[in-house]
Amino acid sequence: MKMNEELWLVVVIAAVWAVLAAVYALIPSLGMPGYVRVWGGGAVLFLILAGVLVAVSRKAPRG
Amino acid sequence: MDSISTSVARVGSRSRLTARVAALPGTDKALLALLFGAALLALVLGLVGGFVTALARAGALAFFPDDAYRLLTLHGVSVFFYWLYLIQAVLMLVLAAAENGRGLALRPLAWTGATLMLAGFGASEWISATGTPLLYDGSPELAADDPRSVGFFALGYLLLSAGLVASAVSGIATVLQPRLRGEASEFTSIGFALFAWAGFLVVSAIAATNAFLPGLLWSLGAGPFPADHGTEWHILFHNLHYLPLMATVLVWYVLSEQLTGVKSIHGARLSKIVFAAYLVFVPPTSLYHMFLEPNLSESVRVIGSLLSLFVSVPTLAAFAIIVSSLEASARAHGATGFFGWMRGLPWRNPAMANMGWAVVNMMLGITFAFVLIQEKLAPMLSDTFFVPGYFHFFAVGVLTQTFLAALMVILPALGGGTLWRPELLRCMPALVTIGLLVFGAAGIAAGFMGVPRRVFDIGYDGIAPAAWPVLMALVGIGATIFAIALSVSVYGVVRTMLSLRPSLEQAPVVDWRTGSRGVGAAPAWTGPLSVAALVAAMYVFTIVAFQLIQSSPIIAIGGGHGH
Repeated sequence: MKMNEELWLVVVIAAVWAVLAAVYALIPSLGMPGYVRVWGGGAVLFLILAGVLVAVSRKAPRG
Repeated sequence: MDSISTSVARVGSRSRLTARVAALPGTDKALLALLFGAALLALVLGLVGGFVTALARAGALAFFPDDAYRLLTLHGVSVFFYWLYLIQAVLMLVLAAAENGRGLALRPLAWTGATLMLAGFGASEWISATGTPLLYDGSPELAADDPRSVGFFALGYLLLSAGLVASAVSGIATVLQPRLRGEASEFTSIGFALFAWAGFLVVSAIAATNAFLPGLLWSLGAGPFPADHGTEWHILFHNLHYLPLMATVLVWYVLSEQLTGVKSIHGARLSKIVFAAYLVFVPPTSLYHMFLEPNLSESVRVIGSLLSLFVSVPTLAAFAIIVSSLEASARAHGATGFFGWMRGLPWRNPAMANMGWAVVNMMLGITFAFVLIQEKLAPMLSDTFFVPGYFHFFAVGVLTQTFLAALMVILPALGGGTLWRPELLRCMPALVTIGLLVFGAAGIAAGFMGVPRRVFDIGYDGIAPAAWPVLMALVGIGATIFAIALSVSVYGVVRTMLSLRPSLEQAPVVDWRTGSRGVGAAPAWTGPLSVAALVAAMYVFTIVAFQLIQSSPIIAIGGGHGH
């Protein structure tokens, strides 16, 4: 499937949030577990939204 | 002589937005009216609390400390949470419904969201009025012996968060409807912004749950004391900085098209990238909120300082897109003069006046925000009156005036009534800005001189500097000016909402969609030059701040405070 600009923008958002969550998770000396939960939760959310965009593209009637 | 030929929209003509709002199903209109009303009630409560607080800080009123903190709590809770988040939820819903053209999707979920948010509003106001005053960040440390207050306070924000999630899911489903019907293969730039904004609302609800669920569990005896509340609050607070700014820029996009017919000349693709940039920059720029933590390592401080420079990139990019699109379209209609093109904008429309002055306030607010987030300055200024001095440019001048502008356009279409006294309303944003300039200049100067942020009696047994009470009196005068002007605007919006009498007279707009000269034939420099001037101002005021603070005989470093 061709990735349109909206999909890759949402995927980029999810990727950035996931990287930040991973940084906070993998460097315990930062001492901010809340960031892991929030940025990680956000990464999961935007991945779900990317999935929604894919599903809508497939489901939509083609003109 | 500067001149511009513009076609003014005919009396009674409706734009795509207002026509679609007017055509919404009755049940959607009822939901939207309920939420608009609740948001305005929160604004009124917050405005009253803020005005009385400012008079107390100016020394014109005296309160016992508990009463003073209760007022401050009611002010912050009402404005910062319930006004800003109820209005964002309802604007997201109404704009999504207009994008769809057929009303809201998942309507029961939208009603559930509204019910939850209103329940949260009631719980928060009630416990703020009757419990231990916890200020708007609800720090459990202030009520370690009063778990009931901590629990109900947390419950209010958690209900608001749950309602935001339900509203956002309905909003996302709504903007997807045209694609599901096969009427569109991609979002418009506004549709994509709504999609991303709704996602951001959900993330903010996650952050609020992360910050306040531990307090609720502790109050129920189901968890430990939330000792890390300050850190978790910083995470939520960072999101709460970005979210209303993203909403503001989105409203500017919508209103620019509504008031002038102009869409971005740079294309929908760039607009989508800018809106996505808000979300890309949110996590990396969050570290500067931790500068007050005494145990933060030096390397994290350096990285946080560098990343904080990106904090306003999306807002400035969106601003430049909107201004250059307007200027290029105006010049295509024959506008001349460096700033002369702006005269053609429909300034007699109160929505345009609110939006225009919101931009001025944004420039002022961003300039001093950058002073505050400098790693060396943040610990010295964050517990001073510098903070309320600068952030009212944002909270009142930018956000509130922008959202009122949206209401002035949407409410007549929603209720079928007439905008109340547009000739009077269009004068208010300039008055609000004058009040904010007095309030901000005195407050920022007071902050540089060390006036504490949340201390009501600053006499210190007669040893406080003589300039402190003078500056705080000016703060009170500025607050009085902008509170009166803002009250007139709010009154006008409420009267508009309650108006049932349609009128042939509409607030003026212009139509710059097609110009005789062609867009791009003349250069449009105002947007980029404004950004360059802003960057220069940031440097100048940062240098001034360092000079002022280094000249102080005593420097006290604050710590651990949520600003």
